Amino acid sequence: MALKATDIPPVHTPLKPEDEELALKRAEQAALETELADRELRAANLRAELHAFEARYLHFVGLRYAELDELKAQIAERLAKEQPANERAQQAARDARSRADDTQSAAGEKAEHEPHAFQSSPEMKRLYREVAKRIHPDLTSDRADRAKRQQLMAEANDAYAHGDEAQLTKILTEYECSPEAVKGEGPGAELIRVIRQISQARSRLSEIEAEMQELLRSDLYQLKSRLDEAQQHGRDVLKEMIEKVDSQIAQAKQRLEIGGTNGA
Amino acid sequence: METIEKSAERRIVPAGTQGLAVRSSALVARGLRDLSRDSNWLIKKVFRGHTRHLAISPTGQVCAISPQGRHSAQRVVLYDIELCVPNLALSVPNELLVAATDLPAAFAWSPTGRHLVAAWGAWNPALHIFDLHGKALLGTFGESKSFPAHLTWSDTGKYFAAGTSGGSGASLRLWESAKDSAPLARTAASEIGTPEWIEAQAAGAEFADEGSFWGYGRAAFSPDEKSLASVVEIRGDWADDSIVILDVPRLRNRNAFTAQGHVTDLTWTPGGEHIVYCAAGQAYRLEAATPTFEPLPFGAELCACHPHLPLCVCFSSWLKNSAKGRLFLVDLNRLTVFDEYAAEGVVDLRWSLDGSKAFAVTQDGLAYIYEPPLL
Repeated sequence: MALKATDIPPVHTPLKPEDEELALKRAEQAALETELADRELRAANLRAELHAFEARYLHFVGLRYAELDELKAQIAERLAKEQPANERAQQAARDARSRADDTQSAAGEKAEHEPHAFQSSPEMKRLYREVAKRIHPDLTSDRADRAKRQQLMAEANDAYAHGDEAQLTKILTEYECSPEAVKGEGPGAELIRVIRQISQARSRLSEIEAEMQELLRSDLYQLKSRLDEAQQHGRDVLKEMIEKVDSQIAQAKQRLEIGGTNGA
Repeated sequence: METIEKSAERRIVPAGTQGLAVRSSALVARGLRDLSRDSNWLIKKVFRGHTRHLAISPTGQVCAISPQGRHSAQRVVLYDIELCVPNLALSVPNELLVAATDLPAAFAWSPTGRHLVAAWGAWNPALHIFDLHGKALLGTFGESKSFPAHLTWSDTGKYFAAGTSGGSGASLRLWESAKDSAPLARTAASEIGTPEWIEAQAAGAEFADEGSFWGYGRAAFSPDEKSLASVVEIRGDWADDSIVILDVPRLRNRNAFTAQGHVTDLTWTPGGEHIVYCAAGQAYRLEAATPTFEPLPFGAELCACHPHLPLCVCFSSWLKNSAKGRLFLVDLNRLTVFDEYAAEGVVDLRWSLDGSKAFAVTQDGLAYIYEPPLL
């Protein structure tokens, strides 16, 4: 009687030590990949939020500061003209002009469209996390692949910051279909590769942490936090800032028109 | 087994915000600062301790006697007013370790804030000049039996004056130097003792109700550096101080007139035509050429004119009907007060070098920074 295939008792071939180690390392790598993707997402979120906030701040407040400083420079120049022998007035006018130029340069040109606050949908977050897991540059030890991943990751960050879901999907799909996505060679080489990738991932995690700390300590984050906190209590502080600078601009214009110092 | 070496390149995912963040950092800091205050006045605690001896620099530092270290010995310490941190503790050879807070002291910052002339009771009886860029004591000059009552530099740093009090030995001395250079000569270029119009009287002697010559108090160089206005202190129950206007550098008496009580401060207006002074808690404006004066419609004990605008920042410890102190700004063209803030115990006032801010510091180390958006 012939034995049926199902009757054959399973043969448990013991894993070779390097395969066992490789399996362990792959599990560790998978956990790290997930953590790295989450952290990258958090960092990308923070960067994108700050970027969007900065653009809004410069658009609504920065440009007004530039206008105010320009008026102040004109006032100082007029006073200097009225007091040609007063070296302090001349110096003050030069300083005011220099400050106005600096502020204008920092505020930049007025954007055509009003910048919006950063918002990210759950689908965008899922996509970004997936991209980070698949194509993160620190998850490869191949030089050429790494360069390609760096380029793609930068594009992914940009797409995420602009809420471009289609672009994120495209990046992921293109990489999945590329030859660099194919893995190969023996378990020994693979083990070394995985160990190095784990090391790179850990190193990147530390870098993300340092970058996050730097962003959280920045003036930009402090300012954004103050505004967010006030908003939770029903106060629109950005609007208040705009009104305050507008009022100063109005005073400066008045001074420029009628002269005098009252209202400084 | 072949592996590919890890690339040495560690350029991690570029962060798009970095370039922009650097460019806009000054505007962001400005927004944060504007957000943290609801008026043109910012209040900060700069130093601990209590002293009437302090001087504010045009670059926003304050030099004060304050306790330092574990034993809380008194030291001459420089603090950054805006950052509220000590920058430097000054020390000189043979400095006494003292805990007493009542030793006399006088300080004067050079116009750029680079040099500081200081005298303190725990040091040798001389004027000590420090280079604060080099953080070094450059030397001493101006030894005198009397402790200096007031020290002052001219606007460009070309002249320096020290006045002493104490009766017959009181003097006013003037030194010349190249622009903001140091040290100053050991001996003064000019010196006067008892003013000419009092000379006829015996120094230190009583003369009726008018009191006796005590010495030189607050002094200020005119913006063009051609004149030095100094308070001549007269001691006596009903005595009025005088203000003398002297030629620079010879210190020849050009004009003198009697004030109305004890003069606590004086300052030249930016054009140099007038002197605003405070006597017995009242502010006055004196025309330097004539000299004729008019009372101003507010009380003040300290005053400092803006370097180029017709503005004056003042302090009064007694606000009518409330007995409370205040810092306030005066438009000298319209003689109106247009910005004020409650404050007590202010001992020095100063405008910043560019006139964009005014600083006031109290004897308890509290600083008031006036920074209006339009200056």
